[in-house]
Amino acid sequence: MSGERTGTGGLARERARSTAGAAAFFLAPALLLIAIFIIYPVIETFDISLYKWNGISSDRIFIGLQNWKSLIRDALFWKSFLHNLIVMAFSILIQIPIGMLLATFLDAGGRKLNIFKIIWFLPNLMSSVAIAFLFTYALATNGGIISSLATLFKGTRTNVDLLGQNPNALLTIIAVMAWQFTPFYMVYFIAGYGNIDVSLYEAAVIDGATRGQYVRRVAIPLLAPIFRTACTMSLIGSLKYFDLIWNMTQGGPVNGTELMATYMYKLSFQQFNMGYGSCAAAGMFILITAIALLFQKIFTWKGDY
Amino acid sequence: MKKRLLSAVLAVVTAGALLAGCGASGTGSGGSGEAAPAEAGAETAETSGKATDGKNLPRLTEAPLTIKLWDIATESPTKDIQEDAVQRFMKDYPNITVEQTHMQNDNYKQQLVVAMSSGQAPDMYMHWGGGPMAEYYRSGFVNDLTELYNTYDHPAFIDAAAAQASYDGKLLAIPYGGLSGCGIFYNKTIFENVGIDKAPETIDELEKVCQTLKDAGYTPFSLANASQWTGSMYYMYLVARHSGNDEFNAAYMQENGGSFTSEAFIWASDKIQDWVKKGYFPDGVNSLSTDDGQDRQLLYDNTCAMMLQGSWQCRSIATDNKEWYEANIGVMPFPKDAEAEAKGVPQNVEVGTAIGNGFSFNCWKSDGSVDQEKLEACYVLATQYYNDDIYNKKQMENATIPSIEGFADQVDDPNMKTFADVFFNASNVQLWYDQYLPASVTEVHKHCMTELFGLEKDGKQIGEEEDAAMKAALADR
Amino acid sequence: MAGRERDKEQKGHKGRLRIGWGIAFFFAFLQVILTLSPFVFMVLNSFRKQFDMLSQGVFHLPEPWIFTNYTEVIRNGFFGYFLRSVIVVAVSLLLMLAIASMAAYPLSRMQFRLRPLIYAGIVAMMSVPMHVTLIPIFKMTTDVGLYDTLGALIGPYVTFALPMAVFILTAFMMTIPRELEESAQIDGCNRYQNFSKIILPLSKSGLSTLAIYNGVSMWNEFAFANTLIQSPGNKTLPLALGQFKGEHSLDIPLILAVLTLSALPMIILFIIFQDKLVKGMMAGAVKG
Repeated sequence: MSGERTGTGGLARERARSTAGAAAFFLAPALLLIAIFIIYPVIETFDISLYKWNGISSDRIFIGLQNWKSLIRDALFWKSFLHNLIVMAFSILIQIPIGMLLATFLDAGGRKLNIFKIIWFLPNLMSSVAIAFLFTYALATNGGIISSLATLFKGTRTNVDLLGQNPNALLTIIAVMAWQFTPFYMVYFIAGYGNIDVSLYEAAVIDGATRGQYVRRVAIPLLAPIFRTACTMSLIGSLKYFDLIWNMTQGGPVNGTELMATYMYKLSFQQFNMGYGSCAAAGMFILITAIALLFQKIFTWKGDY
Repeated sequence: MKKRLLSAVLAVVTAGALLAGCGASGTGSGGSGEAAPAEAGAETAETSGKATDGKNLPRLTEAPLTIKLWDIATESPTKDIQEDAVQRFMKDYPNITVEQTHMQNDNYKQQLVVAMSSGQAPDMYMHWGGGPMAEYYRSGFVNDLTELYNTYDHPAFIDAAAAQASYDGKLLAIPYGGLSGCGIFYNKTIFENVGIDKAPETIDELEKVCQTLKDAGYTPFSLANASQWTGSMYYMYLVARHSGNDEFNAAYMQENGGSFTSEAFIWASDKIQDWVKKGYFPDGVNSLSTDDGQDRQLLYDNTCAMMLQGSWQCRSIATDNKEWYEANIGVMPFPKDAEAEAKGVPQNVEVGTAIGNGFSFNCWKSDGSVDQEKLEACYVLATQYYNDDIYNKKQMENATIPSIEGFADQVDDPNMKTFADVFFNASNVQLWYDQYLPASVTEVHKHCMTELFGLEKDGKQIGEEEDAAMKAALADR
Repeated sequence: MAGRERDKEQKGHKGRLRIGWGIAFFFAFLQVILTLSPFVFMVLNSFRKQFDMLSQGVFHLPEPWIFTNYTEVIRNGFFGYFLRSVIVVAVSLLLMLAIASMAAYPLSRMQFRLRPLIYAGIVAMMSVPMHVTLIPIFKMTTDVGLYDTLGALIGPYVTFALPMAVFILTAFMMTIPRELEESAQIDGCNRYQNFSKIILPLSKSGLSTLAIYNGVSMWNEFAFANTLIQSPGNKTLPLALGQFKGEHSLDIPLILAVLTLSALPMIILFIIFQDKLVKGMMAGAVKG
């Protein structure tokens, strides 16, 4: 059947070998690039984490696992990690369900709702710089939207301090992140719906299913792998998030929105502590990978390849 | 770091300069006393002679040479002024090519780290002095300029500028970005409306003014403290007024009982928190960002009447609206602490930057020795093309006062004039803490400012945090 | 579309359905306000002067309307930045999608020993904070002489999008029914033909999602561009912002004009191609 098979020998082994060959062929370019641009820097990061080094000087002092020992006892690192976990939980709980709802709405309504799709997607097209600026004003304590609304409801002038106080700042950032990323999950689920064979829908209708029943019984189970990857992406994205926080609060007030990535960045590039910063980065990498793989493991359905 | 040594070294440095016959004493006419007299009729007005003619300067190499230069002049007119200096230099020395790159201010420190760690550091680069300059120097990316400076001509930088360009008794940078002081901007119209006819001269008077403004429905101070260095200005100035430089220097060394919990620091913290409680600052002061102009916004919409900020705000406000600026904005120096003055504490220790932007040079041969030819070229470029008459004139037009003797007299804008008078007569200019302190301490100091203005911690608590960070940084060295 | 026919068939549901749609539209409009308003602020404020914006407040309508921000942005070489961004994003995106779909194919549809390991590795590579790669990539780029060229950006852009793209495409390809491939195999297609004739066309919706997502993030990418590009003649759009920022001065409306102009092409592209998202698979699957 397949033209690439030549020669003799055990059919199964031959087949396995040709599969391996084909797999290697398809994977080679991706793996090569990843090795150069990601794996090599990661190895370097782990290496640097063993040194006391300011990042620029030609002398770096090998100190073994000292940085790692400090990192394990570093309250600020764990606090940042906790913030990451909070951001992660909220991101998954807010962005994915809302994204799913929006996609379901659009899928049910079809093309005439395209205008909604376009408008809803706008936040995802903006750069974090713009978003950060707009929200510092929109959420300003004096005259921002929330303060104005509060004033309206209470009747007296009320100033709500969202970004200058903890824990408000972190919650505010989570809301802004939801604003920015929910549209992506919407588009993602639209694509997921699009990937479902239309004949399945027709069959369901013939069987007398309503739209709601179709979504619950047919679409959602079929979307399971898509759903799982969406969660994984949100999870990893939240755990290594940097952009918006950096542009809006730089981790402040007083580390209230500090994430692992901002902490690591400050250590490495602003405080001349590259050795320890690399250690934080490596620690961050280990934590995220562990959580992501654990998540994959737990939520693997039987039917998956 | 070793500030006490500095004044001694500076005396030597200045003396050396004088001996070398440079007109550092200032001729009053142009500040950069060694400005070449125009060679009569030699060339057309614009390009009359080299800026370096007739001066005591090293003879530059005639072999081809390339200088990699980094600055942060991304925006006109600053960009044009600095490019012009480089162009004039290259015209006079056709064998030397200057590759001038304008880096983005936001990520500049990161860019330097990346380049330095990869062996691609520029030969001549801009910085703001302070902690990072010391770090670059200790890591071998800064040439010691003391000898060049003592041997050859250079502009008559004011003492404060030379001091901020020095570390460990060595001159490490050539200032070129002009002086930026800190002062109180106030709305003249509002002051008039509420019947304040005289700018307060003491802190007590300032507090009375605040109360008057508050009673009239204004928030006295506009402050956007999400940026933290903005709130730090109040803290730094109160400390400076209460104790001059002594307590800060002692705390910086953490020796002989020096501590960020010493009397002046506690006093400053208490004062600030008292003002916060009295409503002298806007609500949500820690959420406002000066980068987004939220402090100016509160001035423009007449919510606030005063703002302690850097002198560059003159230019910013005037750029936003020149008419409004001229009609409404006045500047006063930070008032005196009468009590401390009575005890003999100098009231002319000011807070700001006299180095502004400085150039350090990174000229080494592959064997690690100094690349003298390149270094001398950089020196001539920085002292004779940057900082020459043409350059300084343009800087003045751009509302920037060169940190060079004599320039205080030439300022037209009355507000800039106030700044110039205060800072040219300062006994010492304390560089912003957030630039002066080691980077790790800066981070802690900035957090402390949030907590101080947010009433989350008192002066003693933040002082203890700063002490701990300072001790750790000193031990690390 | 299909919804309407079904309505006719199931009249009993009609009333309840109408209420359902009513509620749905209420929330839909709420979401419109939520997503649109910041965007409107961005556009409106780009037509003002900084002083007006600050003194009147950011929520005030422009008064007067100022167009000089846009002329100034365009005068300062906007189209150059724009063109370079288009080139970098187009090349990176095409390469990335090609390489990612190739890699996703064996991961989703072949059984081989290293598969679980490679798959886990891909997930791990998604977890790498990009900032740790700045210095090594800067070094490599200078070493091979690509520093300060557009080419320097393509490698990092492609590679940093890859892990997630492979990961997503693998999930998408898993949803493609196995039978399609098997019947093609019976028709005499080998793996390579299977990939190009069956799998790739059927992954269109996944590919277009990725194109949108990565297109936008490459379009807005700042950190690599800022580290690897130096001369103004090679800078991409996100770096254009810096052109309008001084050490202490920031003309916000001008920046907003840059941001609006930068977002515009993305919006237009999205309007043109969003329809493909829904259609992507539906058309192809029936034929298969």
